[in-house]
Amino acid sequence: MIAVSTQDLGWKYAGRNNFAIEHVNLEIEENTFTSIVGPNEHGKTTLVSCIKGLIPNSFNGVWRGKVEIFGKDTREISAQTLANEIGFVFADPEAQFTSMTVEEELVFGLENIGLPLNEIKDRLEWVTNITLVSDLLDKPPYEISGGQKQRVAIASVLAMKPRIIILDEPTSMLDPLGKDFIFDILTNLKKEQDLTIIVIEHNIEQVAPLSDQIILMYKGNIAKMAPPATFFEDSEFLYEQGINPPMATTFLDQLKRNKLYDGGLPVNLDDAIRAAESLLKPNGYRKGTS
Amino acid sequence: MFLGAVSLFILVPEINVVLIILILLFLIWAKVDISGLRIYLPLTVTVAIFMFAISTAFPGPKPEYHPFKVLGITFYLEVFYFTFASYWRLMAMLFGTIQYFSTNRERDTLVAIRTLKVPFVVTYFFSLALRSAGMFLEDMHTIREAERARGLDESAMSLSDRAKLYGMYMIPLFTLAIRRTDEISNALYARGYTPSGKIEGGGKRSDYILTQYPIRVVDIVLIVLMIGIFILAGFLQIRYGYFSMEHSPLYQFLLSRFS
Repeated sequence: MIAVSTQDLGWKYAGRNNFAIEHVNLEIEENTFTSIVGPNEHGKTTLVSCIKGLIPNSFNGVWRGKVEIFGKDTREISAQTLANEIGFVFADPEAQFTSMTVEEELVFGLENIGLPLNEIKDRLEWVTNITLVSDLLDKPPYEISGGQKQRVAIASVLAMKPRIIILDEPTSMLDPLGKDFIFDILTNLKKEQDLTIIVIEHNIEQVAPLSDQIILMYKGNIAKMAPPATFFEDSEFLYEQGINPPMATTFLDQLKRNKLYDGGLPVNLDDAIRAAESLLKPNGYRKGTS
Repeated sequence: MFLGAVSLFILVPEINVVLIILILLFLIWAKVDISGLRIYLPLTVTVAIFMFAISTAFPGPKPEYHPFKVLGITFYLEVFYFTFASYWRLMAMLFGTIQYFSTNRERDTLVAIRTLKVPFVVTYFFSLALRSAGMFLEDMHTIREAERARGLDESAMSLSDRAKLYGMYMIPLFTLAIRRTDEISNALYARGYTPSGKIEGGGKRSDYILTQYPIRVVDIVLIVLMIGIFILAGFLQIRYGYFSMEHSPLYQFLLSRFS
C-alpha cells in the first residue's frame, strides 16, 4: 500500500518570491525506509512538513497540489488523526519539548489522543526500553545530554505508534557516538517495527545502507529518486548537487570508471570489502582496457 | 509556601525569626544545600537599605512617638520598629517561597493545580510559561557568555553602561523567544494538542501524570491543618490584632527603656 503520495505539490512561504518546493510527485510504499538528502535550503524540511501537515496548518503561504497519507488528503484530516498516523522528530530536539519532565514529555502525545491510562503505562514502558531512556523519566528534558535529548524526542514520537515516522536531521546536533546510537535505534526500528520511516539526513555514509530508496532534493524539486544500489551510479551528477556518496561506493565507482570493476555499487563497507576481495581472486581481477 | 503565607499576618519579629529558623531546619532536613542561599544575601541587604532609608527619610512622626538620635539623625522608635518588624515579615515570606521552590518540582505545582480541576489549557500554559522562563534565562546566559568570549568585561563598565547592555540583550532575547514560540507551536500541533483539552470525538484527554500522585489521607489532613492555621492566624490578627507589633517582647522592652 502507498503510505505517502504527493501530486504536483508546491509550497511558497508568505513573503517569499519563489516556491520552496514545486511540482513534487512521489510515492512512498508502506513499511519502507526513505532517506531524503540534498543541500540546505533546497526544500527537504518543507517537503516533510507538507507530508506531516505542519504546512499549511501552521504556516502561511501558497499551497499547490495534494498530499495523501494512506489515501487520505492531509488537509482534510484533523491534527489528532495526523498525530496518530505520522510522528515527527524535529532537527532540534529541544524545540519539541513542551513538558517539565521526560515522563510527561513521553506521555503528552498519548494523553492528547485520549488513550486509556493502562495503555499509556504499557506504551511508556515499551518505548523507554527500546530507546533506553527509562533512567531519565524524572529529569527535565532540557537538562540531559544532546544524545539523550534526541532519544527522548524519538521516544515521545514512537510512543504514539504512528504508521509513519519522519525524522528531520535527527543526528545533526550529535557527536559521533550519539549519531551511532540514533542509527542503532533506526536500524532496530526498520528490522522490528512495521513502520514507514522517512529520514532527512546529511550523513549518507550511515543512512544509505538502511534505505530502501533515496530522494535527492535540489532547488525545490526531486532531482533523483532511486534505491541505493542505483542512486549512486552517476556520482558526477551527485557531486554537482552537493552530495558525497559513501566512501565504499566512491571507491568501487572509481574502480568501475577505470574499468577495473563492473559489479554493482555497494553502499556499506562490508559489501565493498567483499567486492574488493572478489577482485583480488585469480579470476576476479578485471583489467581495464585503458 | 504556607510558612511564608502565614507571615503575612504576623508583625511580631520574634515569631517571624522563629519561622525563618524553622524553614532553615526544614531545608536542612530536606537536604537542600543551605550554602546556596548566599545568592539571596544581596537581595536581603538591598531590601533592608531601601526600607530603613525610606522610613528614616519619611518617618511621618506623630507627637506620641519616641524620638532618638544616632549620628545626628532623628529616628522614631515606633517607625523604626515597624520597619524592623515589616522587614522580618518580608524575610519570612521570602524564605517560605525559597523553601517551596527548593523542595518542590514544577511538576508538583502543576499536579496540584490540576488536582484542583483547573482547566487543562490553564495548567498547560502555566507549564509552558515555567519552561519558557528557564529557556529565557538559558538564552541570556548564552548571549552573555558569547560576549565575554569576545572580550567584554562587565566589571570595567559603569552602572549606566551595564543598564544599556542589559537593555540591548532584550532584542536577541525577544527574537529567540518568538522563534521558540513558533517551534513549540509546531511541536504541539505535531503531537495532536488542542487547547480545549478534548480528544477527537469530544471525550476528555487522559491525564496519566495525575494518576502518579494519588491523594492520601495524610495529604488531606495536612492541607486542612495548613488552611486552618492560615485562617486562624488571619482571624486573630484582623479581629484582635494578636500578632501586631505591640505584642512583640522586644518592642515592649524598648518602649520601657524610652518611658
